[in-house]
Amino acid sequence: MRPPALRLAAASARSIRRFRTIVPSSTSSPSTTTRTNRPLTSAVLLNHQLVPSSSPRRSYHSTTHPPPPGPFTPVESAILSAAYQHVPTHGFTPEALALGARSAGYLDISATVVPDGVFGLIRWHLVTQRLALAGKKTALFGAEENKLVPGEVARRVEALVWERLMGNKEINSRWQEALAIMAQPTYVPASVKELALLVDEIWYLAGDVAVDPSWYTKRASLSAIYAASELFMTNDRSPDFQETREFLRRRLGEASEIGDATRSVREWVSFTASAGINVLRSKGMPI
Amino acid sequence: MAVLRPALSVPRALVQTSLRQSPRCAVSRRLLSSSSSSRSQNNNAPPTTPEYAVPDPSRPTHFGFETVTEAEKRERVAGVFTSVAESYDRMNDLMSFGWHRIWKDHFVASLNPGFSPLSSSSDPRSPQHILDIAGGTGDIAFRMLHTAHVLNANPSVRVTISDINPAMLSVGKQRSTSLPASQQAALSFVEANAEDLTRTTPLLTSTSSPSPVPPQEIPSESVDLYTVAFGIRNFSNIPAALREAHRVLKPGGVFACLEFSKADKFPLFNTLYKEWSFRAIPLIGQLVAGDRDSYQYLVESIERFPSQTEFRDMIVDAGFVVAGEGYEDLTGGVAAIHKGMKPR
Repeated sequence: MRPPALRLAAASARSIRRFRTIVPSSTSSPSTTTRTNRPLTSAVLLNHQLVPSSSPRRSYHSTTHPPPPGPFTPVESAILSAAYQHVPTHGFTPEALALGARSAGYLDISATVVPDGVFGLIRWHLVTQRLALAGKKTALFGAEENKLVPGEVARRVEALVWERLMGNKEINSRWQEALAIMAQPTYVPASVKELALLVDEIWYLAGDVAVDPSWYTKRASLSAIYAASELFMTNDRSPDFQETREFLRRRLGEASEIGDATRSVREWVSFTASAGINVLRSKGMPI
Repeated sequence: MAVLRPALSVPRALVQTSLRQSPRCAVSRRLLSSSSSSRSQNNNAPPTTPEYAVPDPSRPTHFGFETVTEAEKRERVAGVFTSVAESYDRMNDLMSFGWHRIWKDHFVASLNPGFSPLSSSSDPRSPQHILDIAGGTGDIAFRMLHTAHVLNANPSVRVTISDINPAMLSVGKQRSTSLPASQQAALSFVEANAEDLTRTTPLLTSTSSPSPVPPQEIPSESVDLYTVAFGIRNFSNIPAALREAHRVLKPGGVFACLEFSKADKFPLFNTLYKEWSFRAIPLIGQLVAGDRDSYQYLVESIERFPSQTEFRDMIVDAGFVVAGEGYEDLTGGVAAIHKGMKPR
């Protein structure tokens, strides 16, 4: 979902994208490369498309376009997915990266092509777990799309957050190290952005279609709740993380209580204000 | 962002349309379809070397803002570095306020040479061969050796410093005498043209015999890490040098390049930076090194060097694969680290 302020702009952007799809996509196929006689400039132009951009093309969800290409190039995926297997034993460390490069059939030095080193491995975890949520949606809620009774969105949000937290189960013992790396000033912007994308994904998959200012408050509050729950989980030793589940329920409950309270206050204030103005008008005041 | 990104992509769509209409592109697309299948079968070696990647002494290239032939550029670059060799390190400090040390430290730390994961085998420290091209004064090579031998406790890492210019190599050789003996033993100096590493000459010292040493070849697939720091923009034929790097690297080996780049993303900072490089640096060169022209060439060659993405595409074109964007900006893009890996 996109913020309301961007709706109009995104709509026009979408029409531009439609214009782009009119252009046949034969030359933009990613397999095009050549080693034959031709000027360097065109080599540069054509090969540019070999390398996917590290950031997604769109910052909003679309049901009418294919998903943007992932941020990882094939070689990166090969090394990182192999390195990820070593995380439970070696943690998010250069060891895991180098072992991953070895398992992928490369040299120890090969792992150094991964941008940001160890943080690249953490980002791999964050991105793959976030993208996996969309696949779990049908299993969680069934296929029916349009039957959203009141309270259903909140229930779905809880289920999705829990599903995402369970994505940390395998590497939970190492997650504090990862959080420490993510908190390094260099990586804070990327980490916060990834949290924002996750929360946005959760609200989108939960079927929330609000376009009022609550778009922002919902995402802000869920970010805080998710980050707190994740931190709580790293110290949770209860079977099946039951305490984390309780913690998450309490936080979501508090958020909805606060939401209800602010809504009541707002209603009261607006009613009183308009009533007051009407009283003044009835007394002949030119308002 | 939702507004910016698709809107920015429109020009590319237009470029694609216009390309499609041009007859030359139709030809190159036909060539594409025939070569793409052979590439998928053999990812390692480029099937044919494009004409622009074959060194040709008479082909025009640029020397700073001038247009010269490749052979002439080689001679004049040799002249520049012979004349600046003695003052090279002092000038680097003055021109970049010492910041080049930070870049070089970061470059070497991000490559972490000599690092081996602890494993069950008896000696987990696998040997590595690092080739430091245009490494003249040894700045990168000495840092590599320190990281590998001291920090990663891996004495089986050896470094070959290669430079086309014997004057720069002698400065490096002189400086290397202050290193620990074990590190000196792991160092070797060769004089070579990076576009053709099949003919390298070990550096002659004054004590060695005057008889000429036969040229030696750096064999294919023998190098773990190929580094070039602030050197590649002086090469006469960069595509040829990239293909030569591809040849000598082992599959999985890493090509790493530290080079000046474009700071276009920050216009205000870029203006200041350009003022500094075009006004101050030649002046400092005149005052400190007594050589204005060489430093004028230095800043002009920085200006003529391709942007981050263009150079990344040249690396991909030479047969390397990249991860992420393929480059990392340093100090807002004043310098950039490009890395590529030779695929299996």
